[in-house]
Amino acid sequence: MTAISKQALAGEMPLLERFARWRYRHRQALEGWLILTPILAYYSFFFIFPVVANLYISFTSWSGVAGAPKWVGLSHYKAYFSGYYLLTIFNTFLFTVTILLASTIIAFFIAVLLNQKVIGRGLYRALWYIPTLTSAAITAQVFFAFISPYDGVFNAVLKALGKPIVIWTLSPFWMRTFIIVFSIWRGVGVPVVLFLAALQGIHPEIYEAAMVDGASSWALLRHITVPLLRPMLIFVLITGTISGFQIFETAMLISAGGQFNVASSGGPRNMTNVMLLQIYKDAFVNLDLGRAAAGSVIMAIILLWFTSTNMRILSRGQVEQ
Amino acid sequence: MRKRITFGRVLLYAVLIAGSVVMAFPMAFAISGSLCDLEDFYAHPWFPYPTKVYLENYRILFSAKFTAQVEIWRWMANTLVRIVWYTLIPGTVAVLAGYVFARLRFRGRDTAFMYLLSSMMIPGIVFLIPTYIIMARFPGAGGNDWRGQGGHGFLNEWPALLIPGLVNVFYIFMLRQTYYTIPADFEEAARVDGASTLRCLKDVYLPMLKPTLTVLVIFQFVAIWNDYQWPLIVSSGNKKIWTVALGFQQMLLVGASYKGYPPGSAIVDYPFSFAMAAVATLPLIFLFFGLQRYFVEGVQGFAIKG
Repeated sequence: MTAISKQALAGEMPLLERFARWRYRHRQALEGWLILTPILAYYSFFFIFPVVANLYISFTSWSGVAGAPKWVGLSHYKAYFSGYYLLTIFNTFLFTVTILLASTIIAFFIAVLLNQKVIGRGLYRALWYIPTLTSAAITAQVFFAFISPYDGVFNAVLKALGKPIVIWTLSPFWMRTFIIVFSIWRGVGVPVVLFLAALQGIHPEIYEAAMVDGASSWALLRHITVPLLRPMLIFVLITGTISGFQIFETAMLISAGGQFNVASSGGPRNMTNVMLLQIYKDAFVNLDLGRAAAGSVIMAIILLWFTSTNMRILSRGQVEQ
Repeated sequence: MRKRITFGRVLLYAVLIAGSVVMAFPMAFAISGSLCDLEDFYAHPWFPYPTKVYLENYRILFSAKFTAQVEIWRWMANTLVRIVWYTLIPGTVAVLAGYVFARLRFRGRDTAFMYLLSSMMIPGIVFLIPTYIIMARFPGAGGNDWRGQGGHGFLNEWPALLIPGLVNVFYIFMLRQTYYTIPADFEEAARVDGASTLRCLKDVYLPMLKPTLTVLVIFQFVAIWNDYQWPLIVSSGNKKIWTVALGFQQMLLVGASYKGYPPGSAIVDYPFSFAMAAVATLPLIFLFFGLQRYFVEGVQGFAIKG
C-alpha cells in the first residue's frame, strides 16, 4: 500500500474525498480565516479607512453636509499657529499635566495607606473608586450646583458668612480650577486601584529584610516602594496622558453651566477651551470638517510624541523584575 | 507586628477618613439634598439635610405624567439595548478571534494580529469625524443615493448607535491572553471524543473564560451606560433613541418647568436635579457593590495584561 505513489492514489480518489482531505489538512487555516475575514473587513472599514480619510480631509475644506471636499493644502495646519488655537493647545497641556501630576501623587499616597492593615479597607476603596463609574454628564450637573453664580452652594455659603459673592463662571482661574478638581475627583480612583494592585505584588520579606537592617519607614518608601512601583507608575502616567489629552466632557459641561452646549462652552474668554472641544466646535458647530480633521491629526502627533518621550525617559535605568 | 495606638496610626486613619469624606462628599451632598425641599436646601448650604420627610422629588420623577413627558423608561430601555448589543457582539468577536490568535496555527495569523493592534496606538479622536461621515453618508441609508448624497444617512437613527465599535481590539487582546492561561489538554481531550471547534468553544472554553468575560461585561456596562459623546453627535435630533446620559440633560429642563416655575425661568431646582442624578447613577453603584471583587480584579488585570 505504501509503495503506491501519492499521485496515483489521488488520481483514483473521488473529487469529493480529495476535497475532504485538503480541507482536513488546512483545517486550522480555514477556520482561522473564516473567523478573521469578517472581523478584518469591518476593522479595515471602521479603523484603517478612517485614519487615511482623516488625513485626506485635513488638507481640504468641507462642510460634511453637502458638496465634495475642496483641496486647500496646509492652510488648516497654519491656522493652528494662531493665538486662538495655540491657547487651546496650551489649555490641554495645562489640564493634562496638573490633573495627571495631582492624581498620581494623591493616588500613590492613598494606595500606600490603604496597603496597611486598616479597618474598613473595602469601604475606603469603594469610596475612592465609585466616582470613576459615574457619568460626567450627570456629576457635572451636581458639581455645577456648587459653583452656579446666582443660586449655587458656594455663594450661599459666602452669603451666610457675610462675604461678597463671587461670579465663578466669569473667572478663568476659578473655572480652570473647578475643571481640574472635578477631573481629579472623577478619575483618581483608577490609579489608586492600580497602585494598590502593584503594592500587593511586593513581597513583605523585602520590607522585613530592610527593617532588620534598621531602615526608617521613609527609607522603605523611598528605596523599596517607589523603585518597585516604577512599571506601574509608567503605565499610570502613559494612560493618564492619553486620557488627559482627550478631556472634553468635563471641560465642556463645567464651562457650559452643566448643559451639553458645545457652542457656548470653553469660556470665559476661551480660557477653558481644549483641543478636543475645539475639534468638536469646528466639526459640528462651525461645520468645518477639514479644520477639525487637522486638529485631530495634530493631537495624534502630539500624543504619540508625548507618549514615546514619556516612555523613553521613564524606562531609562528600569530594572527588569 | 505589635498592634499599638501610635501617632502614625492615628495620622493614617485621619488621612484616610478625611480623604474618603472628600471623595464621598459630592454624592452624599446630592443624595441628602434630593430629600430636601428648597427651604431646607438653602437653610443649610454647607450640607443640606431634610428636617421633614419630603419625597416629592422622587414621587414626581416616577409619576406617570412626568415619565410620559420625559420618557425616562424609554431611555433606560434604549441604554439597556445598547449594553446587551455591545456586550454580545464585541464579546463574541473577542472569544472567536482570541481563539484564532491563541490556538490555531496558520500562515498570516501574526500579520493579521499586528494589523489589528496597530490601531491601539492611535487616539480615538482620529476615528471620530470619519466615523461620523460614514454614518451620515452611508450609501442607500436614510434617503441617501448610492454615492451617499442627498439624505441624512444613519444620523438620528438606531444604526448609528449600533454599528460603530463592534470590533474591540483591546478585548481581543485580553481574550487571547486568557486562552494562553488555559492548558491545551482540555481541547485535545474533547477533540478525541469528536468535538467540533464550536463545540469546544462552547463547552470547554466558555466556562473557563467566565472571569475574563465578567470583566468585559462590567467594562462595557459602565462604558455604554455613561457613553455621551457619540450619542450626542449622532442622535441629539431624535429623542426616541436617546440614552440615559443624553436624556438626563433633557430631564433637567423639563423638570424645572414641571414644579410650577414659569417656563424658561432661571430658577434651577437643585434638589430635584439631584434626585434625577441619583436615579441615573444608582444602577451603576448597585452593580459595583454586587460585583466589587470583579471590578477591582478587572482593573488590576487590565494593568497587568495591558
